[in-house]
Parts: sequence; C-alpha cells; structure tokens
Amino acid sequence: MRDTSLETQLRLLTLQTESWKKLHDFITYALDKSKPIISPEQERQFTEVRAILLQESEHVFSELNLVAELSGKTMNVLQRASSIRGVRELSGDETRRLESDWNAVFTKVGVVQGQLKARRRELLSRSAFAQIMSGIFGRRTAAR
Amino acid sequence: METRLLILNSEPVFQDRSLAMIDAMRKVEIRIVRSLAEAVYILMREDFDLFVVEGETATAIDQAIHTRQHFPSLEIVALTEAAPSAAQSQEAGGQNVALVTADCSDRQLRRQLREFISAFERSSGPAAEGIDPCHSLVGNLNQFSAAEILQMSCLSQRSGRFTFKSGRGNSEIYLHHGMVRHASYGSIEGEAAVAEIFRWRQGRFFFEEGIISQVQTVNRPWTHLLIDNLQKLDETLHMVSVAAQR
Repeated sequence: MRDTSLETQLRLLTLQTESWKKLHDFITYALDKSKPIISPEQERQFTEVRAILLQESEHVFSELNLVAELSGKTMNVLQRASSIRGVRELSGDETRRLESDWNAVFTKVGVVQGQLKARRRELLSRSAFAQIMSGIFGRRTAAR
Repeated sequence: METRLLILNSEPVFQDRSLAMIDAMRKVEIRIVRSLAEAVYILMREDFDLFVVEGETATAIDQAIHTRQHFPSLEIVALTEAAPSAAQSQEAGGQNVALVTADCSDRQLRRQLREFISAFERSSGPAAEGIDPCHSLVGNLNQFSAAEILQMSCLSQRSGRFTFKSGRGNSEIYLHHGMVRHASYGSIEGEAAVAEIFRWRQGRFFFEEGIISQVQTVNRPWTHLLIDNLQKLDETLHMVSVAAQR
C-alpha cells in the first residue's frame, strides 16, 4: 500500500537534502584555505543553490510541520552564507555558528527522512484491506 | 526490474503534478535534477531507461533536442505545459523526441504517462561475457575507450567486427580495410551508432577478424568520424565539468 502524501513528503525531503548537501560542499570549499580561487561560475552556482533553499525551505518545512523548529536556523545559515567569498571572510565564531546551524537543520531533515522511510516500509508490507480496517477502527477509538 | 527515469524539472517543489503521478507508479525509480548540465553529468555516469524533460513548452523541447545531440540513443520525452505548435512537434519528431502534453485532466495525464513509461520497462539484463577463442582482441571499455581501440584497428588496416557489450545493450562496428563500413546499436545505424559507442565508459568489447558487413551505413573516413565525435564528446564533457564544479 502506498500513501501519496507520504511519497510527496519524501520527495520534497530528498530534494531539500540534496540542496543542503550542495550548500555544504560550497561552504567546505569556502573554508578550505588550500583552495584560494573562487570563480564567478562557482559564485553563480552558490547563489543558485541559496535561491532554491530560500524559495523552498519554508514550503517544505510547513508540509512537514517543521517550520517552528527549523525556520530560524535555516534563515541564520542562509543569511550568514551570503556568498562563497562571504563565508571565507567570516570570523571563527560566526563560522562555528554557521556550521552548527547547518548541522542542526541537516540532522533534523535526515531524521525525519528516516522516519518517513520506515513508515513507507511499514505501509508497503501492509495490505490495502488491513490499512482500511485500521483506519476505521482507529477513528472509532479516537471518537470515544 | 524497475524502470529508471531521470527527470529534468527546474521547479520540482512547486511544479510537481506530473512528478507526483510518476512517483506513485509501481516499479518506477525516479531521479530528479534541476538543470541540463546536471542531467548530462548524471547521464554520462548512469544508465536510465528514459529521460523526461518537463517544463514550459519551448524550453522543454529545446532542452530535449539539446540532450539528443549528446546522447543519440537515449529515449527522451518532453513533457510540455501546453500543446506544442506544429513546427515544434515536427522539430521534436525529427530529433526522435517524444512529446507528452500536460495540458489535460489529471486522469488523462496519468494514463498517458503510465502508457508511455510502461513501454520502457527494463528488459535487458547485464551484458553476457561471450568470450570465444575466435576473438582476436578482447578488453574492457573502462581501460581502453572505443576511440582508442578503433583508432588502433583502423591504422593497422583491419577488417572484421567489433562487438561492444554493456548494460545499455550490444552494439557492433564493422571495419573493412581500416575503414568503418557499418555500425549498429539497437535500431540506430550508421554514424549515430558510432557516436553512441564513443560515449560508453563501461562494458566489454571483442574483435572478430574477417567478418565483413554487406551493408554500408558509414561513408566518411575514420579520421573525420574520430574528429567529429571527439569534438562532440568534448562539448558533452564541458557541460559535465560545469555540473561537476558544484
């Protein structure tokens, strides 16, 4: 049995995780002192990833009821990481805060993704009939 | 076996009507990318049964046709927002790009997509080894590229048949006195088949001396083919390098 809303949530989370990973790649590059060159093309790609996250994070988190928990941290990351050059010029404290906020968002997204995958696995092993029955009896129990 | 789809959609979060329908299909594995460069990067490394380009009509058709230049044998479908014009349909048809219009009811679109995707259910298994004592040259494409081995065989004026076996299927190139005479890959023949084999990075090949094709589908000298295909490959790799910088 497949739950379409669960599939949608998983798809959104997969896309969101991909964007957070890409952002992390850029942050890692920016903080790597052995790579002094930052090309305009890299800055353009960084801005693209940042724009995607700015547009989509709020929507994805609201679909998953995570806005209260993650919205603030997300904005902290995206405001601090304004460009690759900007990340390179952050102070030590600000860099640590950026990494800690990125880690908090990524960890939560990963945990929720894992929970949804487990739920999907459970649903797939259940028959459609059992699902309907549990829905009916579940509702009756809740009504009492 | 699952049908593998690569979907190019620049707005997969906000324009997900078709994505949701495809995602709900059984035995279909999807991977979503947002840019053409990213799609080419992935297509160079992985096999997909179908490449779906979704978006505004003119853009989707343009991107599908652009992809065709890099991947001659790939099954490509442009999933357009509105019905394409006659000229656009003709252009897409000429490049072997299938068209599906999303400008219809959910039910119709779901049916169209299901019919289309089910036609690409994966049937080919892993390539068979098929090594025989009569194979005068046997090797791996990840060690020697098709361009290298063909160059060597053409320079030494060989006549015979090269068979290439990979997860994408089997293909053949026939040489005659150091000239490529015929090439085939599935339903593709001639220079397009040679171009396809040039891109293979995994698989096995073997050469059987003395097998001559009666059919001639390639008329240009080997050096011209080599230069053209290496140039095309360079263009593809340039796109890939743009995606790889991320």
